[in-house]
Order: sequence, then structure tokens, then C-alpha cells
Amino acid sequence: MMMLDRRGILALGAWAAATSKAFAQGPMPEHERVLYEAARREGEITWYSGQYSAEASEAAGRVFNERYPGVRCNVVRSTSQVAFQRLSQDLRAGVAQCDVLSSTNGGHYAQLKRQNRLMQFRPKNADGLLTPLRIADPDNFYQSTFLGIFLLAHNTRLVSEADAPKFWKDILDPKWKDKLAVGHPGFSGAIGLWAMEMRRLYSWDYFKQLERNKPQIGRSSIDPITTMNAGERGVGVAVSSASTLLSISRGNPLKLIYPEEGVLAALSPSAIIRNAPHPNAAKLFMEFQTGVGLSNAIRLLFNESIRPDVPPPEGSRPLDQVKMLAPSIEDAEKGVPEVRDAWRDTFGV
Amino acid sequence: MAEGAELATAPRAGLRARLAMLEPVTLLWLVLVAGLIFLVAAPLLKMLLISFEEQDTGDFTLMNYATAYGRQRYLDALRNSLLLGLLSAAISTIIAVPMAWAVSRTDMPGKGFTWAMVLAAFVMPPYLGAIGWILLAGPNAGWINQVWRAVTGAQEPLINVYTFGGLAFVIALHSFPLVFIFVKSALDLISSEMEDAANIMGAGTWTTMRKVTLPLVWPSILGGFILIFLETIALFGTPAIIGIPARINVVTIQLWQFFEDPVRVEVAAAYAIPLLLITVALIGVQKLLLSRKGFVSQTGKGSERRQLKLGPWRWVLFAWCFGVALLAVLKPLLVLLQASFAKAWGRGFSLDNLTLRNYRMLLFEHDMALQSAWNTIWFSAASAGLALILALLVAYIVVRRLIRFADGLAFLAMAPFVIPGIVMAIGFYAAYAGPPLMLYGSALLIILAFTARFLPIAYANAQASIRAVHPEMEEAARILGCGRLQTIRRITAPLLKTSLLGGWLIVFIVASRELSAAIFLVGPRTRTMSVLLYDLSEQGNFELVSAFGGILLVITMVFVGIGMKLVGRDFMLRRD
Repeated sequence: MMMLDRRGILALGAWAAATSKAFAQGPMPEHERVLYEAARREGEITWYSGQYSAEASEAAGRVFNERYPGVRCNVVRSTSQVAFQRLSQDLRAGVAQCDVLSSTNGGHYAQLKRQNRLMQFRPKNADGLLTPLRIADPDNFYQSTFLGIFLLAHNTRLVSEADAPKFWKDILDPKWKDKLAVGHPGFSGAIGLWAMEMRRLYSWDYFKQLERNKPQIGRSSIDPITTMNAGERGVGVAVSSASTLLSISRGNPLKLIYPEEGVLAALSPSAIIRNAPHPNAAKLFMEFQTGVGLSNAIRLLFNESIRPDVPPPEGSRPLDQVKMLAPSIEDAEKGVPEVRDAWRDTFGV
Repeated sequence: MAEGAELATAPRAGLRARLAMLEPVTLLWLVLVAGLIFLVAAPLLKMLLISFEEQDTGDFTLMNYATAYGRQRYLDALRNSLLLGLLSAAISTIIAVPMAWAVSRTDMPGKGFTWAMVLAAFVMPPYLGAIGWILLAGPNAGWINQVWRAVTGAQEPLINVYTFGGLAFVIALHSFPLVFIFVKSALDLISSEMEDAANIMGAGTWTTMRKVTLPLVWPSILGGFILIFLETIALFGTPAIIGIPARINVVTIQLWQFFEDPVRVEVAAAYAIPLLLITVALIGVQKLLLSRKGFVSQTGKGSERRQLKLGPWRWVLFAWCFGVALLAVLKPLLVLLQASFAKAWGRGFSLDNLTLRNYRMLLFEHDMALQSAWNTIWFSAASAGLALILALLVAYIVVRRLIRFADGLAFLAMAPFVIPGIVMAIGFYAAYAGPPLMLYGSALLIILAFTARFLPIAYANAQASIRAVHPEMEEAARILGCGRLQTIRRITAPLLKTSLLGGWLIVFIVASRELSAAIFLVGPRTRTMSVLLYDLSEQGNFELVSAFGGILLVITMVFVGIGMKLVGRDFMLRRD
């Protein structure tokens, strides 16, 4: 990964803003042009989006629409577990509505692949991804489209830097009673992955102790950020770095904490559903997600770029200096439903 | 009877003669029966059936019930919902009955204001009120608690919305208008002579109200109570927004969980059946309680209705109404408005916190926001129209007793009244989402579900309106050669125009804020504003949600405004 100082980052930021315009008007490589022609006849693509925030998803959809006029991206943004629930309801009813699913919970793809619900497709642009993201599935049923960092954050007015927790296990201290906020693994895929990792490190006992501190439970991993901004709670647990940085850029008194055990890194794929109503548009959208278009759009909202040729967002710690906990897709398929169920027994909701 | 005898003696000739005599209205009756079965009976029946089916094979099984009641957590949710329903209904009744009495029977000042506030509380979607109350009564950041701490120096919050009581209270603040409407319309009919009689016997105002006036409207109070109980146990948005942080699991959230992968519609159906049984039991209790039948307040004799003079007490009553308005409408609206123009709502009312970004995002940058607004308008308008046409025809047949078994029609039309909305949605999903109709995600399915769900409101309205039209005008038209349907079209319908418009508006309003049925049925391009609001609320971005709520309110207010212009201020109160 490139190392940049702050000035370099700012310069690159201006560069990225300029390129996103250039991207919309720039020439199209041959493989995209062919797909675009076919996609235009289909007219739209429906994207069940659980990886990026509502704002970033809408921004990505708009960039896609500008780049490929005549193919409209229907952004259906929700938490990942809810997106998957929508897809399951579609499949159960036998009605095809979704073209591309983007979920933070990689386990969804292992399951869908096993059930033969996915379409095999390797976007050419995936060759240009960051090395660890290049091959998500050797059989090419799904592709990496998201690198999400989930960590701790605190409201600096309520909790001083010295007092702030340094480790994931610090938040179990009774002094944090009524001061924590967290998302819910029944809604957020990232919280599901995080709960799985905490269980691996500290056993389920971690959550039994956490329960005693009465965290305020939202749904999305982004929910605690609003709770902290409002001053309702001082520490956000397993919040998305992108949404926290965005919130800081808007003047809210928040600060990221990189826990010593490692941040949760969700390296999550997207996939085309086998019975996708707009298969060519879906393929085009996969090219878009793995190409510079998506990375350019979402980095402006402080999400990690997934390509080496698009710089990382401003204000985030370079990833090569960060210790990461990155659960595997295979573990997630079995583990997330387990921790979701255990969570409901422990917390009651 | 004579026809029957003729049929028995000469079956073939009689049948032919009868077919020849067939009035179009009989055909219409058949169409109506088919329509009502499709909308009401079939989804419920399908739900009952699949609750005994194995998911993949369709074999008979009781396992779904074992699964649905096999865990403490699921039973807790059931208990929580029942308690929540009772508590919300009780609070609503306590809020609304004094208001209804004050507006209907006394010389309390500010009746127009009270009325407007009741209407506003009714129009405001409950989930929006819930968000308003999070901003007001969050234990640390809520405005009320901030002020409380600043004034008293206390550490503990004054109120906490994230509690069972808080949840029930917030629900009640947006349900009480139903009790108000029920009780006020009943009170309006009581003549002052009954109260005079009590006064002559030596009872004061207070005793009279307690022993004479209120007991006379007991059926309406009970009706309102039961309705709010049913609405509460079927509510989805408020429990998701307040109940999850408060860690209170309820039936609707649990039903939603049964739709997680793997989608277990069968278990959800099994879990929903007791809600129906509870409802039936409640209606039974209501019948039992009212069986003494001492509630006749309308007689053939002319009667007079005077306003009670309360003296200084009328200000106490007004304070009560104003307090309710403050809690249900004014305060939540104020904080929602602030949040919708804020960068971060917690930073309060300051200039550097002002932004139009939230509105700009929704109006110009969001893919679905405007589409969903349009969806909301036309789904609500279409289902209100459909429900009203259906209700009008059924009511006409029932009121004019055109056909035997007409009461069966009335029963079907009123049945959704006692079916929690979320149960209805699961029935619709089970019956029509998949093959053979494959309606999942389509606008048609949502419109049909809304139509079925709000048919009883339309029916009650249509029935009351038709009762008010004397048949002699129709008879005149019939004598002059009009057929039944032509009579309805040219005589009855024009006479009913105003009150039907009122009914249409009420259905439109309740449909525009519907969430618990829509959430199970929408597709990517058919999401309504309420569903999109719910999606947006997941992230806790209350600024954006408030702005969207503001847009929804503006749209609703436009329709309410049109309604008031056309029908008069009290269009919601036109009942029998």
C-alpha cells in the first residue's frame, strides 16, 4: 500500500474529485462497452446494498448512472442481514428482483454458492484490485467489492483520550456501564463478523459481561455514531471507520480508537444472483464495483479504496500499519447465524 | 318463502324463470363475494393451512407450532406484546376520554385547537413520533432530560424513552385519537336531559359525568380500547425503533425474524394464529360486557344538547388538552423540524448547525426518495378508492337488505378490523407472493393488501352514510325506470359524495403511514415512504429521517387540507 503524508493525501483528494468527473466522460474499455450495449437493452440493475452506508451507496449509484446513461441503478440499501432477508423472501416467493447482492457478511455467499443461487462471472476489472482482494472465490461466483474497517470510537467531550478503552476487552470494565453503544448482528453483517471474532478471542463470556454494561443496541453498525454525536453514549463499539470519519469531517467531536487486538476488517464480496432479471447490467455493475468508479465514489465518503490506483480516504490510518482481524467466508457462514442466535438469548432482542 | 315453494314444486321451470329474472345486482353480489374472499378469507385460510405444513414437502405437521412456542424468548415476545397492548390502550383511554368529554359536552375554551391537535396526532405516523421522542427523552441527550439536568442539577434523567413504559406512552400518544373519535361521536348523541335528570336528583357535575354520561358511552370507550390494543400488537415501526435499544422483544419483531433466512413462513403463520384467537376472545369479552344493552341514548323524541358550564374547571380541562397536544404533537414536531435542518441534532439550535443538506440529499440525490413519495400517494389513493367502492356496494346491499345472506358480506368486510395488519401481510405473502400469481413486490399486491387492511374503515363509513339516505329517493328513481346500479350511480352516490370523500381521506391517511404490512410485500421499485423511512432509520441518521418525515407530513397535510376544504373540518368524525 502507498504511504502518503497529509499534503499528498489532500492533493490526491482533489485529483480524485477531478477524476470522478473524468470517469463519467472518459473512454470505455472494450469489455465494458460490450456489456454496456447489452445492459442498455435491459435498462436497469437492482442492487441490494448492505456494505456501504446509505449515502455512499446512493453516491455509487449516481456515479454508475452518469457513467452508463440508459442503465439505471436501483439502490436498495439496508443492513446486510436485512438485504439477505429480502433476497431470501424473493427466492422463497420465486420472484426474481435482485441482480447484485453486496453484503458485509461473506457467509451469505458461501451459502448461496452451495445452494447454486449465484452466477459465475469474473469481472476483468478485478485484476486491478488490491492483491488480497483479487480472488475471493476460485470458482468466480463472487468478487471482493468492500474493505470495511470496524473499530472503537469515542465522543471526546464525554470520554477523554486517556480514559478511552484501548482494547476490545476494556469495554467489559463496569465503569462503562450505560456508556456504550453497539449495532445488532441480526441486522448488521459487520456486527455479526465482529461478534464471531470476539467469541473466538474471548469465548461467549465476553458478551455475557458486555450485557452487564447495558450497551444501547441499535441495528446498523453506523447507528452508534449518531448515538455518540448526540451525546447519548460516550463509546461506540464496532463502528464503521468510514462513517465515523465522515461524521468527524462534519464537525462532530468523535475520535477513532484502533483496538490493540486488531480492528475488524470485513473483506466482503458481491455476487450476481443466478436468476438476475438483468444479467448483463449486473455484469456491468460488477465491472463498475471492481473498477475505479466505485472506489473513487466511496473514498470521498471516507471508505477504504479497494484498488491501489485509487488512494485511501483522508484521515484513516494506512492499512499496512493496522493489525486486522479478518474472518474467513467459510467461518462466517456457520458462525454468524450462531452468534446472532446467542446474541438474542443474551441480550433479549 | 313463496319463491322457495315454487322452486320445490317446479324446479326446472322455476330455475329458468329465476335466471330470467336475475337482476344485475345478484351478479354484483357474486363478484363482491369473490372479491372479499380474495382479499380477506383466502389469505387467512392460506395462513392457517401452511401453519400445519412442512416447508419443503407440504406434509401435515405440528412442528411449526412446536418451533414457534419452543423458546422462552418467543413466549416473552408474546407476553410483552399483550402487556404493551393493554398498557398503550389504557394510557390512550386516560388521555382521550377527558378530551372527548370536554370537547363534546362542556364550554372548555380552545376546542378548535384541541381538535386540530387530535387530527395532527392522528396524521403523524407513529414511527415518526417515536423518533421525535428519542430526541426528546433519550436518557442522556434528550432535550427534556438536558433541560431537567440544567435546571435541577440532577444526575438521573427525568424520563427515559427506552423503557417499557416509555414505549407504551409513545405508542399511546399516536393512538389516542381513535378513542377520542369513538367517544366524542357517542357523547355528541347524548341529550342533556339525561344529565338534567341526574342533576335534579341531586348529583353534581362530577357525579353526573361519572355515573350517567360516561357509562352511556361505555361501548365506545371499550371499542376504542380494543382497537388500540389491536393496533399496538400489530405495530412494527415503533417497537423496532424504540424497542430494540430498550431490549424489549415483541411479536412483530419476532415475526420479522421468522422471515430471516431460511424464510419460515410456516412458523410465522403458526406464531401469528394466537393473535387472531386473542382478538376473537377480546371481541367475545366486549359482547359479554355490553350485553346488558342499556346504552340507548337516541330516541324518537326531540332532545336538546347544551354545553355544561364548568366555571374555572374549564381551564383545568384545557390545560389537560394542551398538555396532550404538547406531548403528542408540538414537542415532537419541533425537535423533528430542528433535526431535519441540523448537521447533528445533538448540537442544538445554533446557526452553524443549520443545513439544507438533508433535504437536498432526499430531493435531488436519493435514488428512491421521490419515487417512494409517489408510490405512497398512488398506492394509498388507489387502495382508498378500491376499498371505498367495495365498501359502498357491500354496504348498499346490506343496508337495503337486497339479498339473503347479506350479513355474511358485512362480516367479511369487517373482518380485517380485528386482524392485526402484520398477520394480514403474512397471509398475503403466503397466498399471493409466489406461484401461481407471483405478485411479490408488485404495486398491485401492496394496493390489494392496503385495500383489505383498511376495508373496515371504509365500510363503517359507507354504511353510516347509506343509512342516512332514505330509500324513498331511490324508490322514486326505480319507479321512473332506473335499474339498481343506475340508481346507485345517479341518485345514491351523488347524495353520499361528501361523506364518502371523508371516508376516502381517512383511508388515504392511514394507508400513507402504513408500515407493518408494506414491509413484508414491497419490492425494489415499490417501496413506500414508510418502508424507506424504516430503512433509513436503521443507520440512526435521525437528521435525514426527520427531513424525510417532514416531506411525508407535508404531503399528508396537503391532502388533509383538500379534505377540510371539500368536506368540512370534522371529516374524521362523520360516523353513525
